[in-house]
Amino acid sequence: MRPEDLLGRVAGELRRTVGPGVTEPFARTQAFMAAVILEKLGRQLRSADSHADADRTELRALLDELGSRLGDAPPSRTRTALAAADDGGGTVDTGLGGVIVALYADRVELGSQLFDDLLSRVRRVLRARLERELQYAS
Amino acid sequence: MNGAGVDSIEDRIRGYLAARLDAPDLVLGEVERIAVGWSHETWLFDAVWTDGDERRSRGFCLRRDPGNALLRDLSDLRTQYRVLRCLEPTAVPTPRAFFFEEDHAVLDGPFLVMEKVEGTCPSPWGSEGRVFYGDAARRGILPDSFTDTLVSLHNVDWRSAGLDFLGVPGTGDDFARREIDKWRHLVEASLLEPHPVLIDLICWLEVNAPTTERLTLVHGAYRTGNLLIHNDRVAAVLDWETQAIGDPMYDVAYVLSDLNREGTALLSNLVELDSFYRRYEAGTGIEIDDEVCRYYQLLYAMRSAAFWMSASGLFADGRSSDLRLARTAWSIPVVLDKAARQLGY
Repeated sequence: MRPEDLLGRVAGELRRTVGPGVTEPFARTQAFMAAVILEKLGRQLRSADSHADADRTELRALLDELGSRLGDAPPSRTRTALAAADDGGGTVDTGLGGVIVALYADRVELGSQLFDDLLSRVRRVLRARLERELQYAS
Repeated sequence: MNGAGVDSIEDRIRGYLAARLDAPDLVLGEVERIAVGWSHETWLFDAVWTDGDERRSRGFCLRRDPGNALLRDLSDLRTQYRVLRCLEPTAVPTPRAFFFEEDHAVLDGPFLVMEKVEGTCPSPWGSEGRVFYGDAARRGILPDSFTDTLVSLHNVDWRSAGLDFLGVPGTGDDFARREIDKWRHLVEASLLEPHPVLIDLICWLEVNAPTTERLTLVHGAYRTGNLLIHNDRVAAVLDWETQAIGDPMYDVAYVLSDLNREGTALLSNLVELDSFYRRYEAGTGIEIDDEVCRYYQLLYAMRSAAFWMSASGLFADGRSSDLRLARTAWSIPVVLDKAARQLGY
């Protein structure tokens, strides 16, 4: 049995057997909340590998496109953030976050049109990421 | 908490009150720990004692800091006590605050003793609350009281009331920046890595911070569920944990937000939009600025994300064993999805 399926079965038992059998209100709430958490965790685990692949692929494509759009002399903070996101040492979140902070910091230097275009491109990645997360979070 | 724990704290509360009221014969009754919110522990009880030849009785509410309360870094019980004392002579209905005690030896943590105000405080998010506020909306008295109470709050002469200890923002966009910093601090304190959408949101808020036209007392979480209702009127404004001196649109934005509507057209599940605009503007003389309200609604989204990060962080690092807090980790992308849509993606 896969771990995610096991979590689903445990959640079912908590919901059907354990929770209804507990009379103390706080403990009963905890039992049902444990079921909710295990169900979400199970869904998250089931998609974890494919979501992680998608996160990395989209970050790679984003970095390539931003690098291409910015040419040889991007503003210094953005250049540093792109390099940091590219070196693979941090998480996808750290890399993306660093690029976002740098773009805002360099927005005057970039000019409003380019800033808007680049931010819009980043936000496409963020939206795709959110959609994946909502599959198990909502 | 088990029965022994209840007895123990009951005895200690009794001893404390008996000493403070110089009433050795003081007796507690109807002691009840109520499950409201996720921050401070709240106890309700009645006390009866002899004062000279007179027999006295009074209902009390005690809030104790358990040491891991949400938002405790932003607003402690001492601040709440001071705010309640300052508001006592004003038109804002609040519980009368009697004592603040910070000696941990008494109840293992700081606590605040205040008046038990008669009324109910249904959560707007449960089925019971939806029925309660839906019925009240049809009767039409509570909606006006909801708006009038916010009017009274924004009309408080906060300098005369002594509320400037809360900190007075400077001119320009200082208020918005203070709020962003306050909630960013909560994000950082959670020790969790911020979601990249949250980073985008915070950067956007910093770049677009609005200028504050006037300063009032703001509650910071003005909605049903934080108001005690009695006889179809607001009997007390509760949850003084996020108040500030700031832009009144900050409260108005929260009232207008769909965060608190439960999918109904009624603000806070209670008030019609047009009626709120009309009555609020007439009562305060302040014109509602929709654009600024939209900004603050995004700041509330940041707040929500920070709040959920703080909550799930408390569970993650072992400071709380409450599984409701662990569950909030999955609320973060949900609230950020709403924010992203408001930002246009």
